[in-house]
Amino acid sequence: MRAALGAGVVILAVLLQVTLAPSLSVAGAFPNLIVLAVVGWTLVAGAGSGLRWALAGGLLLDLAAPGPLGLHALALAMAAYAAGWCQRSFHAEPLLLPFATGALATVVYNLVLLGAADTLGQNVLLVPVLQSWVAPAALYDAVLMPAVVLLLRGLDARLPQRSAAPR
Amino acid sequence: MRPAGRAQPRSTRLFVSIAFGSALLVLLTQTPALAGPRGTLKGLAAPFTAVVTHAVDHFDAGLGLLQDAGRQRADNRKLQAENRALKRQVAELQAAGSENADLRQALGFQKSFGHRLLAASVIARSPDGLTRSVTIDRGRAQGIEPGLIVVSGAGLVGRVTDVGQHSAIVQTLVDASSRVNAYTATSGLDATVIGEGGPISMVVLPKPGVVAQPGEWALTSGIGGTYPRGIVVGQVAVFHRRDSATVETAELAPANDFGSLSTVLVILDWAPQR
Repeated sequence: MRAALGAGVVILAVLLQVTLAPSLSVAGAFPNLIVLAVVGWTLVAGAGSGLRWALAGGLLLDLAAPGPLGLHALALAMAAYAAGWCQRSFHAEPLLLPFATGALATVVYNLVLLGAADTLGQNVLLVPVLQSWVAPAALYDAVLMPAVVLLLRGLDARLPQRSAAPR
Repeated sequence: MRPAGRAQPRSTRLFVSIAFGSALLVLLTQTPALAGPRGTLKGLAAPFTAVVTHAVDHFDAGLGLLQDAGRQRADNRKLQAENRALKRQVAELQAAGSENADLRQALGFQKSFGHRLLAASVIARSPDGLTRSVTIDRGRAQGIEPGLIVVSGAGLVGRVTDVGQHSAIVQTLVDASSRVNAYTATSGLDATVIGEGGPISMVVLPKPGVVAQPGEWALTSGIGGTYPRGIVVGQVAVFHRRDSATVETAELAPANDFGSLSTVLVILDWAPQR
């Protein structure tokens, strides 16, 4: 049941990301629905589940993006792991943790993509890209993250609970 | 309460496995030898994204509050497209006036629309803001190859990077790794147009006493052989000049609105020089 939910959410998020999300642009940035889904699920169900969503979502995103395969899977895994680390390390306010984690995960995700582009020999101007894209995108995702966490928490509550095995 | 002591090493092991596997996949699939299979794999997602794009378009149209509002929006888009096409013509005429027409003819690019073109619909956009690409519904089966140039009625869109059987991914001008050699239509300054993920800017080689004016058009220069000469890239919005600088910069307004691009044209009979 959880796997089916994960597959459904990830596929829907990826399809909407490459079709609808770019039209939701505000101040030059648009939300990353798959980052929101992966990080939100990490906060709800733990880093292990979030990493599985990151792998599936990342490989699907790689099919829609130019360049080598695996790049988005790597970036999303980093973002999910960073979100898991935040969750383990800070016992913040219920609203503040998703907000801060959403911003951090988006920055991590984009920095991995930028680093990979640089490593693969593509010249990317770091500072203008950070200013014009990464910062507004991080803010956008941070604002949406609490709502996404609430939504995913609601879905999680409707699923049959697992045994005590660590997630 | 989550048993953190066990969960943490498990998730760390999973993370390391995924990171290592993904990095290996990146290294393998970025090699030119695997460009064909990579394009084919990417093409697998195209039919699904095409269906969702159509659904989103229909939904978007349905959300147009009233039919009249939708019609007005369509009319507005049409007028905007016509306006962009007229602007392109003005820019090309400006360029034609300041250049030797014989030389332009000899170089074989008097107008981009003198080429053989293939119309294609945009069926998906890049998932992140750095690789600003679009996916089109034409691929290898329709004669698309990596490197082909994509334009619209308004000007340059970008170039094809990955090709599937019935779809292709086009890297646009605003992609953070996009570089296009250009020149300004009236002042004749040579420049490189640089994508920054959202806006585009231009690094200009200075000429003593020559300044590009806001509103001046930038066109592809053809230098480097990646793009044909004479395609409209954008319009100078702000020109930054500093006496102490070895290069000057300008902010450029792209000729195309990449957020609303729905139909593009692929130039089939012009291949980049390898």
